[in-house]
Amino acid sequence: MQIHVHLTHERLEGLPTLSSPSGPVGARVEFVGIVRDQEDGRTIAALEYEAYQPMAEREIERLLSELQPRHPCLSVQVLHRLGVVPVGEAAIIVRIFAAHRREAFELLARFMDRLKEDVPIWKRRSWTRTELAAQGDHNQAAPG
Amino acid sequence: MRVLFFAHLKDVTGCAATELDCGEVDAEGLWAALLRRYPGLQPYRATVRLACNARYAGPQTRFGPSDEVALIPPVSGG
Repeated sequence: MQIHVHLTHERLEGLPTLSSPSGPVGARVEFVGIVRDQEDGRTIAALEYEAYQPMAEREIERLLSELQPRHPCLSVQVLHRLGVVPVGEAAIIVRIFAAHRREAFELLARFMDRLKEDVPIWKRRSWTRTELAAQGDHNQAAPG
Repeated sequence: MRVLFFAHLKDVTGCAATELDCGEVDAEGLWAALLRRYPGLQPYRATVRLACNARYAGPQTRFGPSDEVALIPPVSGG
């Protein structure tokens, strides 16, 4: 199984998608995790993510390699965004190519469960619209 | 050794990373050294996992002067 992992501060929606691998592709499953406008009971404008990046990338690859024998797929692309992610934008995108839908759905479900247990990525804090605006003003006022 | 802190642990210690000079130690020895310098970490010890050179530490892991150690609080990615 080919594994492609990318943690980035860039907007995920603009990144290239994985091309179809060689082999008997019969299913392509894509999961997009989107930042909601509610967090801990308050309305927010963004979530901020941080990661221990080398370990997070290694753990994602390790988890997928560990899950692969039970859920054999052809290729997986995992994109996770870091830094401030506005509401409505993707925090994570997982794309899976497989011979059959069942393996792809099962791998996706198991992987997401494990990611939320083991991969060192954190929601550092949530931002309201007012807090974001104040932070923007602060950055503009800061000496270059 | 270099020790990294993430998420709310950065607020507890006041830094993202520090150098700790405690020779080669097991997890117990590492925690003893960490708590001497940052007593505020004590309430988080039960939920924090240790990593050594970007891998989760096991019960037998020893942490040496050239290692990069990380304190991994409960994760929340995705």
